[in-house]
Amino acid sequence: MSDFTFSKREYNKHCLNEARQLASTQLNGMKRAISRTKRHGLSESEATELSERILGLSNADQARIRISSGRRSFARCADNRLTTAGGSMDISVEITSVFGKRTASVTTNLLSDAELTEAVQRSEGLARLAPENPEYLDEPGPQYYDAVDAYYDSTGEMEPDRLAGAMARAIRGAKEAGFVASAYVDVRAGSEALATSNGLFAYHASTGVALTLTVRAQNGSSSGWAGDESRDWNQIETGRIVADAVRKCREWQGKTALKAGLYDVVLEPTAVGMLMSRVMGAFDARSADEGRSYFSDPAGGSRIGEHLFSSSISLSSAPAHPYGERPPFDGSGTPRRPESWIENGVLKNLSYSRFWAQKSGVEPRPSAANLIMRGGNVSLSDMIQSIRYGVLITRFWYIRGLNPRTISYTGLTRDGTFLIENGEISRPVNNFRFNQSLAEVLQNVEMLGQPIQVAAGENSSVGTPVIVPSLKVSSFNLASVSDAI
Amino acid sequence: MSIRQHISDRVEKDDRPPLFSLSRREFVKAAGYAGAGVVLAPALSAGCQVASHPTADPYELEMAFLALDEARSAGAAYADVRVQRTWSEGISTREQQITGVRYSDSYGIGVRVLVGGSWGFSGTRDLTHDAVARAAREATAIATANNKIAPQTTDLAPVDTYPEGNWVTPHDIDPFDVAVEEKADLLFQANAAALGVNGVRFVSSSINSVKENRLVVTSEGSVIQQGFVRISPGMNITAVSSDRTDFQSRGSVADPAGRGYEYVLGLDFPGHAARWGEEAVMKLSAKSVDPGLWDLVLHPSNLWLTIHENIGHPTELDRALGYEANYAGTSFLAPPSEVLNKFRYGPDFMQVVGNRTECGGCATCGWDDEGVPAFEWAIIKDGVFVNYQTTREQASWISDITGLSRSQGCAYGQSWASIPFQRMPNVSLLPNAKDDLSAEDVIAATDHGILIEGRGSYSIDQQRYNAQFAGQIFWEIRNGKKYQMLRDVAYVTRTPDFWASLAVIGGPQTYYMGATFGDGKGQPGQSNAVSHGCPISLFRNANIINTA
Repeated sequence: MSDFTFSKREYNKHCLNEARQLASTQLNGMKRAISRTKRHGLSESEATELSERILGLSNADQARIRISSGRRSFARCADNRLTTAGGSMDISVEITSVFGKRTASVTTNLLSDAELTEAVQRSEGLARLAPENPEYLDEPGPQYYDAVDAYYDSTGEMEPDRLAGAMARAIRGAKEAGFVASAYVDVRAGSEALATSNGLFAYHASTGVALTLTVRAQNGSSSGWAGDESRDWNQIETGRIVADAVRKCREWQGKTALKAGLYDVVLEPTAVGMLMSRVMGAFDARSADEGRSYFSDPAGGSRIGEHLFSSSISLSSAPAHPYGERPPFDGSGTPRRPESWIENGVLKNLSYSRFWAQKSGVEPRPSAANLIMRGGNVSLSDMIQSIRYGVLITRFWYIRGLNPRTISYTGLTRDGTFLIENGEISRPVNNFRFNQSLAEVLQNVEMLGQPIQVAAGENSSVGTPVIVPSLKVSSFNLASVSDAI
Repeated sequence: MSIRQHISDRVEKDDRPPLFSLSRREFVKAAGYAGAGVVLAPALSAGCQVASHPTADPYELEMAFLALDEARSAGAAYADVRVQRTWSEGISTREQQITGVRYSDSYGIGVRVLVGGSWGFSGTRDLTHDAVARAAREATAIATANNKIAPQTTDLAPVDTYPEGNWVTPHDIDPFDVAVEEKADLLFQANAAALGVNGVRFVSSSINSVKENRLVVTSEGSVIQQGFVRISPGMNITAVSSDRTDFQSRGSVADPAGRGYEYVLGLDFPGHAARWGEEAVMKLSAKSVDPGLWDLVLHPSNLWLTIHENIGHPTELDRALGYEANYAGTSFLAPPSEVLNKFRYGPDFMQVVGNRTECGGCATCGWDDEGVPAFEWAIIKDGVFVNYQTTREQASWISDITGLSRSQGCAYGQSWASIPFQRMPNVSLLPNAKDDLSAEDVIAATDHGILIEGRGSYSIDQQRYNAQFAGQIFWEIRNGKKYQMLRDVAYVTRTPDFWASLAVIGGPQTYYMGATFGDGKGQPGQSNAVSHGCPISLFRNANIINTA
């Protein structure tokens, strides 16, 4: 049973080595610049026109306009039926007006001249009333941004019948195996823009798609899951997802009892992505400097520069990462650049808001755009072979914080949990609740696989891109047993 | 039976309007839209009377009827249209500064249609004739395509039609009539009071207000205009130890409610903030809990969320039947034939109701999004599970077991852009009907217990068995009295064992409604606002862990 559970084409299809990543990153801005079809969401010129129209209405000292627009469509199935499907279109504008250090924001999707005038006046009225915010900094002027085009026509042109077709394929696959499918495909296509009265204009178009499938036994005795997320529909492997979810469901049937305790574990990439998403939230300089974080130095300040984790751990972000692109700017207009948060186990950087950066005398550094964890080259089956007695975990559920000082979280395993004995999967076992410091996880990593992009959001909607490897981790605290299937 | 047959059978029996019987002209005539018609809102409990009767905007009505017409001519067998406008305002502060003043306004139309047994939905912010007609045709096209790809049947439970329904959340002060500076002033007063406590370093606080206009028009002839007001005040106080090695927070000091600004005034944050600050400081030096078996006394400010997670969610019929398996999960309360009227949740005195009528409840309304009037029904009666939460579509799935042909009125869509589906009503544990026990009476019923106040970290598995819940403030109870503060406490439970251990419940004097604006479910994910009332309650021999 060596290559038992995870077959995402041997991890390779999405796995770009670092050299390839770099090359693609450089090409990214150009390669999809020419699009022949009408895109969803406002074009750059439409967004420019709308933001200038709104800025022209402003009587404030300064103003900032954020526009998000586009289409979201979806299809769902459950109980081997197509349950709901649909879509919606929206254009929403956030207007922030500033008088001195008084600011307020109004968001509206009512866009006639009269309605926009009313919204601008409302934001100005609220700003005048609002007490001064001593942390307010002037709106930025023009910035230099890296070129990132994240709009893939393969996704933007998805029609409802193709979404339904993907659901029908999931139903067919589950039915053939005698199982029940419950699946979801979420598609987004649109743009966001940011403009300030000081001359900044930023624009980013993107698409995103997530396809996830849970396959359950008719009598509810087993459950298996698989899913993909990407900017590009062509990266979504529907056939592989169906096959993996069906196989997980089949292999998890007849689960047996296993006691809670500390185990060596193999975490599949989706499980790793769900944990690492929480770690990224801790990379904040202010909470570290204020003594509220794992990264706080008891003597004051943060622990930047300290070797805190296993030397195999490197966590970074890159707005132009292929298929995991993010806007090259944050909500304040600050440029997002490739960032290294952890390098070879050393804390390299924390994010700084514009205010905290000025106060600390450093450059502002937006929070993580996406999550890229450097991998290794150990295959899943080699990780399993290296374990005498441990647990293989497919994914997690309901992860909630316990203690920010230790980055401790609780949550549950789900949709395929297996005992490993003497280097082999020996039997399916019950689910567990974990109570675990993620800092300790990063200290206890013993092996890493090749990174892939995973669907790490609990509700399987398009979210922050997460590119992570599978991991072998020692002493993982599976604290109590869950009867859930 | 197809929906068309289903409805036409009903029409013959009940002499109610058939599908698409209603043109705009007929509606105006029937309802006396010009102003004369009066349709009574569903009965509400005393003291919670609807204060005003909103009328639908003529242009919105015109667009809703246009959408119905387009859906009908494109081949829909049923349609409902929701024109919804949602305003929200948020003011947030930390210490003595504003961290955000936000106001938002989202307006649009959503059209849901049935073709054969398949649903289609389309929403747009663009309320012009062309865009509304396009959305209706698109929803119908999606449903038509889906019905070809995977044909199926869908039966909608019958419901009376309400050609001029109207309802508004009972409230005294519209939160949008209160100036931002007045709200900020109240928060700053509270922050200052907390910061005045030695050891308190950080304070954040906020007031979020929501107002909604919802017009629902169904192809069966209901036209229902409702207005909602909800408000959520919050405060979080952090104390840091002098050597910076530890910090502790006190949050969850108040709950959201379906009420006006008078609710915030009544909470008196400035008057209580110093005590909450003292509690945060006390937590720094509180004794770390000894894990093991303890009796638990759960204050309603903690218990409501446990009820939400391990009674509210598992009694959703769609979950029990696998409709949410790919996200929120399924339910241990399945299959329906083996648990309905059979599964013992807790002791005989345990009564849990579902309702959309409770005064101040976040899920309280006049009608749900399918035009089903609000009412109250039993979920757990004398300790036994007796009813799931259902929508019109779902009622027929189990009607052979329940004998119920009606929906429990649980259809809800978050915004104009979201398709309505089964969402939780207010789900409440009724207080002790025999004895109006006080909190002290309940605490006195244990010699070795822990009292937990406020919601803390919470996590529960996808079938709602294994839960781990923390809280904000923990008191050791020794010999029937509060003895000393504890910290790092969480209770780990298996749902059926937990409710079987319910030993004592407080009386009406301890009844309190907790709530959340963030009840997440569905794909795409939607948020539901919901309240849960309960009395203070004692559970025997709970498994307590130390989370430090």
